Amino acid sequence: MFGFDIVGFMISWLTLFGIYSILAITLNVESGISGITNFGKVVFYGIGAYVSAMLTTYLILMLNGVNVSEIPPYNINGVILLGELGNKNPALNIGLFLLAIILSFIVAGAIGYLLTYPILRVGPEFVGFTLLSSGELTRIFLLHYEPVGASKGLMGIPNPFGWIPDSRIRQILYLMLVLGFLALTFITMKKLVNSPLGRTLKAVRDDETAALCMGKHVPKIKATVLFIGSGFSGIAGALLSYYFTSVNPNMFAPSVTFNAWAMIILGGFGNLVGSLLGAAIITLVDRALTFIIPLLGITVISPDYLRWLIVGLLLVIVLLVNPRGLLPEKPIETPASKEMKRETGEEGG
Amino acid sequence: MIPGFVQTLINFVQYAFFYMIFSLPLTLSYRTTKVINFVHANFITYGAYIAIFLNGIVGNTSMVFASLSAFLIVGSIAVLNNLLVFAPLQKRGSSPAMVMISSMGLWIAYKYILYMLTDIVHFYTYKNFVSYGRITYSDIPSLSIGEVNLSQAFVAGMFTVVVIVLILYLILEKTRMGRAIRAIADNAMLAEVSGIPRSLLINLTWFICGGIVAIGGVVWTSFSGAVTPEVGDSMILQVFTTGFIGGLVSLLRTGAGALLIAFMENIGIALLNAYLGIPVSFRPFLTFVTLITTLILFPPLGAGGGLPYRFLKRRSEKCSDST
Amino acid sequence: MTLMAASLEKPASSKKIPLNIKLIALILIPLVVGLAIGYGVAVVMMGGAAPAPKEKTVYNIGLTIPLSGELSSIGKIWEKVVSLAIEDLNNEVAACGLNVEFRLVILDDATSDETALQNVQSLHQQGIKVIVGPAASSQVKVVKTYADDNKIVIISPSSTAPTLAIPGDFIFRTVGSDAGQAKALSTLAYQEGARKLVIFFRNDEYGNAFADFLKQYFEEKGVSVSKLSYQTGLADYASEVATLASRVQSEGADGVILIAFDKDGANILSHAAESDILSNIRWFISEGPHGAGELLIAAVGRFASKVRLYGTRPLYIANPLYEDLAKRVREKFGIELGVFCEHLYDAIKLAGWAIIRAGKYDGEAIRNALVEVAKTYYGPSGWTMFDSAGDKAQQDYGVWAIVSTAEGYKFKDVGLFERGSIVFTEQAYP
Repeated sequence: MFGFDIVGFMISWLTLFGIYSILAITLNVESGISGITNFGKVVFYGIGAYVSAMLTTYLILMLNGVNVSEIPPYNINGVILLGELGNKNPALNIGLFLLAIILSFIVAGAIGYLLTYPILRVGPEFVGFTLLSSGELTRIFLLHYEPVGASKGLMGIPNPFGWIPDSRIRQILYLMLVLGFLALTFITMKKLVNSPLGRTLKAVRDDETAALCMGKHVPKIKATVLFIGSGFSGIAGALLSYYFTSVNPNMFAPSVTFNAWAMIILGGFGNLVGSLLGAAIITLVDRALTFIIPLLGITVISPDYLRWLIVGLLLVIVLLVNPRGLLPEKPIETPASKEMKRETGEEGG
Repeated sequence: MIPGFVQTLINFVQYAFFYMIFSLPLTLSYRTTKVINFVHANFITYGAYIAIFLNGIVGNTSMVFASLSAFLIVGSIAVLNNLLVFAPLQKRGSSPAMVMISSMGLWIAYKYILYMLTDIVHFYTYKNFVSYGRITYSDIPSLSIGEVNLSQAFVAGMFTVVVIVLILYLILEKTRMGRAIRAIADNAMLAEVSGIPRSLLINLTWFICGGIVAIGGVVWTSFSGAVTPEVGDSMILQVFTTGFIGGLVSLLRTGAGALLIAFMENIGIALLNAYLGIPVSFRPFLTFVTLITTLILFPPLGAGGGLPYRFLKRRSEKCSDST
Repeated sequence: MTLMAASLEKPASSKKIPLNIKLIALILIPLVVGLAIGYGVAVVMMGGAAPAPKEKTVYNIGLTIPLSGELSSIGKIWEKVVSLAIEDLNNEVAACGLNVEFRLVILDDATSDETALQNVQSLHQQGIKVIVGPAASSQVKVVKTYADDNKIVIISPSSTAPTLAIPGDFIFRTVGSDAGQAKALSTLAYQEGARKLVIFFRNDEYGNAFADFLKQYFEEKGVSVSKLSYQTGLADYASEVATLASRVQSEGADGVILIAFDKDGANILSHAAESDILSNIRWFISEGPHGAGELLIAAVGRFASKVRLYGTRPLYIANPLYEDLAKRVREKFGIELGVFCEHLYDAIKLAGWAIIRAGKYDGEAIRNALVEVAKTYYGPSGWTMFDSAGDKAQQDYGVWAIVSTAEGYKFKDVGLFERGSIVFTEQAYP
């Protein structure tokens, strides 16, 4: 009867890997390629999660005729109602899901866009610390804000595939969805980077003054990059909220940002495939540890501490030894340069 | 006058002491070394925990001894950081942002090393060090002035701040070494060319800065009711804000910033709560708002930011040059 | 603003480095993946229902507890309690003549929601169908859907959020809802003569729900209360305590009710001890700070005597099983029992007996068996019967105080809540 459920392992690992990869890829484009050290990743992620949670829970109740000012979704009765109504109408679930994804992208992106002003004003070193605190402050704000459930958070968020009776099929379909969004993010970012815009971004990163002298409108470029990057992070957050079926203010933990940074530094600063690699390694190791640790018996030191120590040391050591990470940055390949390579047969480029 | 004002006033002064002890070294270290150092949070935590381990394992109740040990140990950690990580990165020409990221990695690493230490000590002594109660020291008095009780922490804090400010002032203004440090802060290359031993003085600065912050951590253990390894992290917002108000270069402004933040966190929030009904739990917001305002209106000196002149004009004027 | 200035230096030799790192990566990744799969296979060989020596059937019970993170001080005590619990369970089962052995698979969830879900998934993928934990309500919320979908029985010993009282799911809680404790606490304060109170509570789900219940019960008795919440996770609460003092003074309150956990409770009490205003009124506390060593320092002990501090906590007073467990933990590990230890102990026992009664290691069957087993089981936490929502139906509450003894200050249970009023069994303060 017992066994190692490898299919389940792969599904649960890959789902979380997909969500974290979106964060890692967007972070890499923002920080690795455009030079905007973004330590506030968790804010966009969390806001995307909250937007999708609010939209779905409130709308499902309202569209089923429930008076949400009397029975809000964070109330115990609301939760029970959500459990009953949440999985009745497949079209409703999927429709709300799509709407939530779009809205999360827009809201998170807008906030990213707005954040560009203080970032530009102050410079990357100082804004890094500010963004780090912004996660904590969003948490405090949401803890007081009643409509999102304050300290209770929201739970019972209906999964887009909740109406499918078999849980394994549900999980696999959701995994496909997550990987689909990952592919979308990856392709978008790759297209963004392998273009004249991408070259401009790298120029801005390497020497902003020179880029300015060349006439590039640096603030607008940075704002655009942050908009897109934050929007996709918002989508990652929305995917997470459906996966966990609950959100609460504690998800604004700085550990999310640190994990994302560890992934891009490990995998390769500036290399998109590297971010996938970094995300894969870190999420896999985390999961593999949960299988190995019980075999060690009662440990003197909690293994979680060791894991974070390794992450911290990793950041330092990789920066010291080889800032490139595992996979080096590749030169930009715009469609034009690919065409040229093809014509001239591997010369130039 | 809001009720309970005397206690709030005492808290204000007490916190001002703490913020000064923690942020003056931050300003000094950034000014001299140009490193945004997140390990600063760990200096506070390690200082507190050295006092805690001495008290919990060996039974030490002398604040002087604890302070001395904390000064030496944490100062050495600061120097070690510089020798192993910051200096090589800076020599290689890494950008300040990269050095900041490396300091973040160290921050995480040190925090969890401390957690692991508490686990190991717990294994041998069965005492819980992840959260430790207030330590009452035997060599610091507590005063009573009229009706007002000044606790041990107050006296120790006051004494430490006065001594530190005096020593920093004397060193930086009156001695040759101090002038050399200021020279390095202004222009490191020129200072080295004129014969100042740059790396030696930078290490010395790290030693002093780390040590002073650690002493602040020791005083903290006599004030707070429960000290955990997260103590440095919870104060880092206020400490950095204070530093930023001082522009990370001016010690005087940093001191003023400490007073401002301590004021807002104690008296300001009390006023807001009494008259506007704002929940006390919004306390970190006030600090954050100050931080943002300072960063936007008065960006720290030497910050590599600021919108280029062109983009400060009206939006209707588009950039007329071609791409 | 050069970010990747690394690209400017050492051009010649740097060409070699990426290749080496690539090589290392190519070795590392299969190694890691191999490790994971290898140990997975080892688990299959070790932890399954494979015949152990003497042909005993081995059942695994999963455990996800906070050994690091915010609740780690409680988690560490729990780790020791569960080792006793599993030992007792196996002894009892052997004494009944059954050829069964239970094993615990313990994972640390770092008081984080995501890790709790990961742990539950991993335990499930190792084939485990009964999991004790997680500790925090927010964690239970995150694992609920996975548990319900995959028919995993989850027994949490410490989650008290009212929003989880949902019938018909796979979540069980061996601790009573805080509504009951709020009733006991409000009765205690009223009986002790407090007529104007300030509720000082944590701004999280536990604190908010508790404060709401308290307000409701006090209003029924005609006592006016004002609420003051404080932010969790701060380093120090001196300014919050000062605000509390000014609120007490401006409203002329005669008592404060503190709803806190261990660290913040200790911090707040230490600062309150320094305030004249706060040292001259009555204080009443929830179960959170009980058991925390930081409250046993002299300053807080003296403060407790001065204000005649009483707290409530879930407890079957003078329960010989509880006293016995406390004694054994003291003797074997040298520590005192912490909060919810007895609920955790009973959770493990219930899990074991439910598996046996179910006859097969299947989630649905175990769930039904659990409800039946709990009806007639009496343990250190008292009667464990569940209500329709899967939460503890009957929870008694006791009153505790900090008393001065020859060896310093200690926690002592001095009373109980019985039939709507507080009965003191001994004098805590002279």
